[in-house]
Amino acid sequence: MSWQAVARKEFRDAIRSRWLHGSTLFFALFLGGASALFFGVLLGPESRQVSNLFGFFASLGVFSFSFPGLLALVLGFIALSTSYGSITEERETGSVKLLLSLPNSRLDVMIGKLLGRSAVVVAALLVGFLATFVILVATGSRLELGSFVPQVALTALLGAAFVSVGLSLSALADSNREATLATMGLYLVFAILWGSIAEGIPKLINYAAEQVGMSVAELTRVKIGVFLKYLNPLKTYETLAAQLYYGPAQARLVSTTFGERTILAPVLEGSPPFYFTGWFLFLVLLAWIVLPAAVGYWSFERADL
Amino acid sequence: MAAIELDGVTKRFDDVTAVSDLSLTVEDGEVFGFLGPNGAGKSTTINLLLDFVRPTTGTVTVLGHDAREESVAVRERTGVLPEGFDVYDRLTGRAHVEFAIDSKEVDVDPDDVLDRVGLADAADRQAGGYSKGMRQRLALAMALVGDPDLLVLDEPSSGLDPAGAKEMREIVLEEAERGTTVFFSSHILEQVEAVCDRVGILREGELVAVDSIAGLREASDADATLSVAVGDPVDDDVLESVRALDGVQRVERSTEGGLRVGCDSDAKTRVVTALEDNGVTVTDFTTDEASLEDLFLAYTEGERDEPTDADASVAADDGEADADTTASRDSTATSDPAADSGETADSDTAAGAEDADADSAADESDGDETDAPDAGDEAIEEEVQR
Repeated sequence: MSWQAVARKEFRDAIRSRWLHGSTLFFALFLGGASALFFGVLLGPESRQVSNLFGFFASLGVFSFSFPGLLALVLGFIALSTSYGSITEERETGSVKLLLSLPNSRLDVMIGKLLGRSAVVVAALLVGFLATFVILVATGSRLELGSFVPQVALTALLGAAFVSVGLSLSALADSNREATLATMGLYLVFAILWGSIAEGIPKLINYAAEQVGMSVAELTRVKIGVFLKYLNPLKTYETLAAQLYYGPAQARLVSTTFGERTILAPVLEGSPPFYFTGWFLFLVLLAWIVLPAAVGYWSFERADL
Repeated sequence: MAAIELDGVTKRFDDVTAVSDLSLTVEDGEVFGFLGPNGAGKSTTINLLLDFVRPTTGTVTVLGHDAREESVAVRERTGVLPEGFDVYDRLTGRAHVEFAIDSKEVDVDPDDVLDRVGLADAADRQAGGYSKGMRQRLALAMALVGDPDLLVLDEPSSGLDPAGAKEMREIVLEEAERGTTVFFSSHILEQVEAVCDRVGILREGELVAVDSIAGLREASDADATLSVAVGDPVDDDVLESVRALDGVQRVERSTEGGLRVGCDSDAKTRVVTALEDNGVTVTDFTTDEASLEDLFLAYTEGERDEPTDADASVAADDGEADADTTASRDSTATSDPAADSGETADSDTAAGAEDADADSAADESDGDETDAPDAGDEAIEEEVQR
């Protein structure tokens, strides 16, 4: 197994790219800037605590906004762009022939690329969090490390998940152009379309059931819809981050509409079904790291170069 | 043990058969040259050895391992200089070699390897700024890491200047002396002649000959030209009697008053004996062996029955034009290496005729006509090498 060799190569290569330098600078300005704005200017001394920015969730029913959600959107984009070309570009330039003329199996290549590129994204992210940390300390804010540190770890995992998705597309695509378009398309789905699809599917199921004279209970429909929403890695991350600050019952409601909330809240206050527990959603996040890369490997393993 | 064994290997891409029923054995410690024109399937064959592409049918065994199932084991002991590769622009030369060392899990000083290929001074520069020749050397350095048992070099001297090509040749010979099996492809014949124990000639995905260079010379119809300097002018009767000898194709008087005899290699002594028997004093004689170039062309183009462009259907039902092509090539290929350019023009005219267009065939000097088959060749090459 020589995946370590591939991972090291990927890291050394990607760490020198201007794109990454730009991303790092962006994270530093984005996280550091937001922290400086919130903890230095907007918040009074009493409310200077991490949860007021990194646990900032506002839901207006039809429209919800959260700082972790925004961070996830940005991170998803950067992680995808770091990885979607990692195989197609090597195929197009021909460096893949060097890579695979060495005793690296294609599994080594996938694992090495996933870990190497994830490490690069995480490194850029950590620079941003470091800037935040400095500002937190400088402004005398309450650190709430018990929530903040796990959130940093979750954010890193989300970065790895999107690296995995991009890597998978890179393995599946026939050309760099195809990989670019697929990545852009998929990002749109994650960022914008997923919610509508998740809400639409239970309605379709219900419609189908009505056609044969049955019906699906409203609670079931809501459960299906909300469950599907949280399968989106952006939302998985968002709700897990919320759980760190507000507990599971509140956190499961951050991406819901008013209607859904009214129906679902009593269920969550009691004993929530396993698929709404934090652990299950954490597994979903891990699956987003493993499964796309596995699918990519399956395709790459079969391909002629 | 055989270092490389291909058994009935066929590789078809969507619309092209790149390699067709290829069987070939390369022995341990051998230096094997793999020859063929562009698009003949050389790179595809090498890609099959390395599991870059998978055979449609047949089995490939390298260093005793199945090339498909045990590719990593193969590549652990194989150094590869691929064709059409590129370096990682942002990594330094040393980082490349370190990557090879890490991958092969060996303990080697990267600077020693870089020094061996003449890149020590550029070790800390990003490889993106390397010239084509330096990239080639860098890939060779990566190939040499860990003293492989087999070196696979695909067009190793492409991009190298003459001095670089010579160094490459020397490294190949050094490795061969160490007992490394070397398998390399080329279309530059002098290189093959200089280093190879045996060569295989590939044409349109099929192996048309495997032999030593000497053996190939003997086996092919390519003949030698014997120049004989004589004491006195030779009369016509003697000329006739030489002409009648077995293995002699033509006899003519040279401008210096001697004779030029076109004959099979083994007929040379008979010619000289016959002259002396006829009372002619032979003061000196020299032979011009058929150049390897002629040999190569005789094998790779002599019986070409498919057009070089994509228009296969036209040629399939046009047997006569093909026959003409063959005839004209045989005669030019065996006469004079200097006639190469003329030979190309001949074949192109024939290709024009295959297009079933009498006008284009008549227009022999048309430059565009001359270019067309070459472009076709490149297109096939590109397709085959995906």
